Amino acid sequence: MNTTLVKAISASPAPGPPFGPGAAKQTHTVAKLIDTTTCIGCKACEVACQEWNDQPFLIGAFEGTYQTLTDLTPSFWNLIKFNEAEQEGHLLWLMAKYQCMHCVDPGCLKACPAPGAIVQYTNGIVDFNAENCIGCGYCMTGCPFDVPKLHPRTKKVQKCTLCSDRVSVGLEPACIKACPTNCLSFGTREDLLAKAEARVEALKDEGRSESGIYNPPGVGGTHVVYVLAHADHPENYGLPRDPAIPWTVALWKGPLKWLGNLVLLGGILGTFFHYVRYGPRRYKDETG
Amino acid sequence: MRLDEPKVDRFNVVERVTHWLVALSFLYTTLTGLALWSPRLYWLAAVFGGGPTVRGWHPWGGVAFAAFFAFMFRAWNRQMRLEQDDRRWLRLAHRYAVHNEEGLPEAGRFNAGQKSLFWIQAAGAVVLISTGVVLWWPETMPRALRLTAILLHPVAAVVAIGGLIVHIYMGTAAVPEAFRGMIQGWVRPGWAASHHPKWYREVTRR
Ligand code: HEM
Ligand code: SF4
Ligand code: SF4
Repeated sequence: MNTTLVKAISASPAPGPPFGPGAAKQTHTVAKLIDTTTCIGCKACEVACQEWNDQPFLIGAFEGTYQTLTDLTPSFWNLIKFNEAEQEGHLLWLMAKYQCMHCVDPGCLKACPAPGAIVQYTNGIVDFNAENCIGCGYCMTGCPFDVPKLHPRTKKVQKCTLCSDRVSVGLEPACIKACPTNCLSFGTREDLLAKAEARVEALKDEGRSESGIYNPPGVGGTHVVYVLAHADHPENYGLPRDPAIPWTVALWKGPLKWLGNLVLLGGILGTFFHYVRYGPRRYKDETG
Repeated sequence: MRLDEPKVDRFNVVERVTHWLVALSFLYTTLTGLALWSPRLYWLAAVFGGGPTVRGWHPWGGVAFAAFFAFMFRAWNRQMRLEQDDRRWLRLAHRYAVHNEEGLPEAGRFNAGQKSLFWIQAAGAVVLISTGVVLWWPETMPRALRLTAILLHPVAAVVAIGGLIVHIYMGTAAVPEAFRGMIQGWVRPGWAASHHPKWYREVTRR
C-alpha cells in the first residue's frame, strides 16, 4: 500500500489541503517525460511494465506493424505505438509510448460513481483501486485518452499506476529504469518541464522547428509530458490534438446533477406540501 | 367490510399483476440507479448488495421493466390516446390540482393526467433502454454513442422518476381508494362516478 497523500477521490468531496503525518513534506508533483525524438522503439519499457506489475505476456495478432498489440488491455498498460504519417512528401515513422497521462484534471475520476475507486495523490498520480471499482466503465467514457480498460472477467478497470507503489517508496517507475536511451525520465514536474523546454530549444537549434512539448491544457496539463519533433501534429503520434474532459461528461456531473436533484427533491417536497395545503381529493357519493 | 358492498370492477387481474411487475422492476432499477447517480445516495448500493452487484443487476432490472412495460403498453395504449377533451383537461390541470374542477372535462377510464404519465413513461422507457444498452457494455460501444448515452440516460431517468413521484403520491395519498383499485381490482361506485364519470356511465349502462 502506498503512503502518498490524497488530492482527489472519486465520488467524494475534495479532501482539502493535505493534513496528517507527511503533510508538510510533500511540496512538489512528479512527472514522466517522454522524449519521442530519442525513442528507438525497443519496447524495454513494455517488458519492464509487465514484469514489475506481474502481468502475463500476451500474444496478439500481427497487424503489419512493429506494435506489440493494437491497443492497451486490462493487463497491458504501456504500449509503444508505431505510427506512419506522411508530411510534405516525407514518410515519418513515429514511435510514441502510450499509457495513462495522469491528467491534472482527470476525466476518469470525474466520471467515476464509486467512492474511492479512483484517487489522485497530491504528487499527481491518478490511481485505480480495484476493491472499490464496480466495473461500470464510466471512466472509459470520461477519459479523453481512451486509457482505462475493463477486464471482462473481473469487471475491474486497470491502467498504468505510474508505479505509485514504487514512487511512494522513493523509486522511479519501472519503465524509466528500463529505458536504454534515456528518452524516459522521471522527476518533479517543474524540473521535467524545464528539461523538456531545453530539449525543444536544442531541437529547434538543429532545425527541427516544429518541435514542442505535449502537455495538453484542456485537461489542466498532464503528469506524463512528451517532447515531440512534430508537435504541430500530435495526432500523427496517436495523441489527441486538444484533449479535454468531454462536455457531456462535464454537463452530466455538473449542472445536470444539480438540476436532477432539484427536480427529484422538488417532487418529493412538492407532493408532500400539496397534501399539507390541499389534502386528498374528496367526493360526494351521488350514486346512492 | 360489508360483503354486499357495491363494487365497480376497475382493473382485472392481468392489469393488476402487470402494473405491479412494472412497478417493482421500475422501483428496483430506480433505487439501484440512484446509487450510481449521486455519491450521497451510494449507501443504496450497500442496501442492494454492494457496488459491483448493483452495477451487474441494474441493467437486468431495466430489461425486466422494459419487458413488463411493453406488455402494459400493448394492453393500454389505445385507451391512453389523448383526445380533444384531454387536451382541454391538461390546459386546466392546475384547477384539478387545487380541487376546483370547474370547467374540467369529465374523465373516461383514465384522465388526461394519467394518460400523460403513461406516455411519459413510454418515452422514458424507450430512451432508458436504448441508452442503457450502450452503457451496459462500454468496451464494445463507440465512444460517441457512450458520450451521448451518459447524458440522455440520467435525463430520461429524472423525468421518469419525477413522473413516478407524482404518480405514487396520486395513487396513495392524494386519491384515496385508488390504491384498492390497483390491489383488489374494484372501487366504490361513488368513487368511480366522481373520478371517472364518463367511464362510470359506460360500465353501468351495460
Ligand atoms: C410503488 C409505486 C406505485 C404505486 C403505489 C402505484 C399506484 C397506482 C394506482 C393506485 C393506480 C390506479 C389509478 C387509478 O385507479 O386510476 C396506478 C395506475 C397506473 N400505474 Fe402505477 N403505481 C406505482 C408504480 C408505477 C410505475 C413504476 C409505473 C410505470 C413506470 C406505473 C404506471 C401506471 C400506469 C401507466 C397506470 C394507469 C394510469 C394511471 O393511473 O396513472 N405505476 N398506479
Ligand atoms: S489519461 Fe485517462 S485514465 Fe489517465 S488520468 Fe487522464 S483521464 Fe484518467
Ligand atoms: S469502472 Fe471502476 S474505476 Fe471506472 S468509473 Fe466505474 S467504478 Fe470507477
